[in-house]
Amino acid sequence: MKRIFSSLADGKGFDVALIVFPFAFLFVMAGLPLVYNVVMSFQEVDMFSLGTFARPFVGFKNYVTLFSQPETWPIFKNTAIFVVASIAGQFIIGFSLALFFWTNFPGASWLRGLFLVSWVMPGLVVGAIWNWILSGDFGVLNYLLHTLGIIDSNIFWRSDPSYALWAVIIANIWLGTSFNMILLSVGLSAIPNDLFEAAELDGANAFQRFATITVPMMRSTIGAVISLGLIFTLQQFDLFAAITSGGPNNASNVTQYWAWDLSFRQYDFAQGATISVVMIVFVMIASIVYVRSTRHEVRG
Amino acid sequence: MTMKTWLAAGALALATASPFVTVAHAEDVKITVWSLDRDIQPAPNLIKDFNALKNGITVEYRQIQFDDVVSEAMRAYSTGQAPDIIAIDNPEHALFSSRGAFLDLSDKIAASSVVKTTNYFPGPLASVMWDGKYFGIPKATNTIALYYNKDMFKAKGLDPDKPPQTWAELLDAARKLNDPSKNVYGLAFSAKASEEGTFQFLPWAQMGGASYQAINAPGAVKALDTWKTIMDEKLASPDTLTRGQWDSAGTFNSGNAAMVISGPWELDRMSAEAKFDWAVTLLPVPEAGAERSSAMGDFNWAIFSTTQHPDEAFKVLEYFASQDDRMFKDFGQLPARSDIAIPPTGNEKKDAALKVFVEQLKYAKPRGPHPEWPKISKAIQDAIQAALTGQMSAQDALDQAAAKIKSVLG
Repeated sequence: MKRIFSSLADGKGFDVALIVFPFAFLFVMAGLPLVYNVVMSFQEVDMFSLGTFARPFVGFKNYVTLFSQPETWPIFKNTAIFVVASIAGQFIIGFSLALFFWTNFPGASWLRGLFLVSWVMPGLVVGAIWNWILSGDFGVLNYLLHTLGIIDSNIFWRSDPSYALWAVIIANIWLGTSFNMILLSVGLSAIPNDLFEAAELDGANAFQRFATITVPMMRSTIGAVISLGLIFTLQQFDLFAAITSGGPNNASNVTQYWAWDLSFRQYDFAQGATISVVMIVFVMIASIVYVRSTRHEVRG
Repeated sequence: MTMKTWLAAGALALATASPFVTVAHAEDVKITVWSLDRDIQPAPNLIKDFNALKNGITVEYRQIQFDDVVSEAMRAYSTGQAPDIIAIDNPEHALFSSRGAFLDLSDKIAASSVVKTTNYFPGPLASVMWDGKYFGIPKATNTIALYYNKDMFKAKGLDPDKPPQTWAELLDAARKLNDPSKNVYGLAFSAKASEEGTFQFLPWAQMGGASYQAINAPGAVKALDTWKTIMDEKLASPDTLTRGQWDSAGTFNSGNAAMVISGPWELDRMSAEAKFDWAVTLLPVPEAGAERSSAMGDFNWAIFSTTQHPDEAFKVLEYFASQDDRMFKDFGQLPARSDIAIPPTGNEKKDAALKVFVEQLKYAKPRGPHPEWPKISKAIQDAIQAALTGQMSAQDALDQAAAKIKSVLG
């Protein structure tokens, strides 16, 4: 008994316990739901069989149904556009802001902190505010564009099929930029200053310093930011619910919103689970990139 | 008195009272009721009054959120923890009845002296039915009609006492009332890709002689084409496609739309906010003399088939039904009963509007009832949106919806 206790307190047992607890936690909180979701995508599920595991297996039927629907590919395409455009926008603006605050003018760190406000706000609140900004008849954005002479007639950001997805992307870029900026700022401040001094002495200009020192030194941070961005964008749901509800005519529908709509509006849990499984594959890829890029960080 | 004496007195009171309390509890049958009603709405208040009767049945109440009603009910039922009574949104009623989750009340209603089917509007009553049997009792009801701004009618040379009665007249009036320079749209409604869109469109299709089983009938195509004309000519805001009824009616209240299609739930806000003369008229029909129709909303009461006390649960429902005459006076909701007159509120515009809504209720039809209603509704929403965004013609969009609905109906 004493030996077990001492092993637990300081020894192999302690190490094992350290591993077991997080693993058990992960398995219960993330592993089981994941497995449950995958199993569900191969079953026939309705709400009355939700409480039980014993449901008829239907093989790949749910997948076949999913990919035979006319809206499936457009929605996947929307998801791809949403993810790429959101991440690109968030990253470029976030990186520019990080570089800007890096110059350390008076009040820089204070301002940088203020930027985080957007990240702290709940998605539904952000969505409601953007709803007003993007509103067609009385929206602030239309007023602004009008006054600047960019547009002649109002753009119906939420209701025009060619703009609806971009309306959500704009809101999402605004929401995620500050998070990108903070992570990239941390990465920037980790680069030793003498590198830049040495390069400057060697006659490297600002662009050369950026391309040959800043970017390579930031590689792992950038990898992490982009893969986290991918995960956050793929789980972005509130903005869709608040701004366009995936409409009009699925023009701004994306897989995560569709999965919710199928499961909880049409009570087609199996289809919802099937979409989630397809999404899991993509998030898996992002996670691998993320883990690999941060592993480099730990070693260094 | 010190704290101690208070406590002692309390303990004494408890000790003397407890024998009676336990006796009462031993006899009382406990009935649980779930609904989405808040403290100022019917369910909790009626339950309080019912419990005060001390007739051997104690009702316990639990409030659930609108979005959670179906999922909570499903979870509770499939794990054997369902309440005795639940208030369910009418298009979802059949989902539960068809699976045997709700108790067939036909015999109880037939034997009841309080609940008489002849007292109800046909629409709400049809929504509790499945397979020719009654699986619930309508709780309250609502419908939609056409609100119009009388001042704007006068300003544009239209007769404020002759609101549009047909689709052609509606289009005509909308064109005259439409005034982009003043930020005024002729009409506001909701074609949102949600149940609200179906709620607003289905009455139009039904007036044209279509139904959800035959959604591509010529009348429905004409209805959707009329909607498309409204959108194409910008007689309604393009945001109609993504805006719900409440927000659409908001633009009417602020004077940015001359007419709006919405329900009696707008009355209080409109009375407070609208700074103009307004009135309500029945939903315009395809042509003079055509069949009327309207949407039918609100919740129904149902008893879960798993209840241990079906007779007591039905007594509770009978009590609720017996209080239907308080529904409007105390809670501002319309009872689903044609035998109860709505008492005047003293607000002239509101009283006139309520008369129209009660008249409109006679033509209200339920959505479904069908256990797969959400899927049927989704097909209709998709068709509305595909046609209004110009991606498909009304005919093609409704043909596609009809095909989808057919595969759902099996």
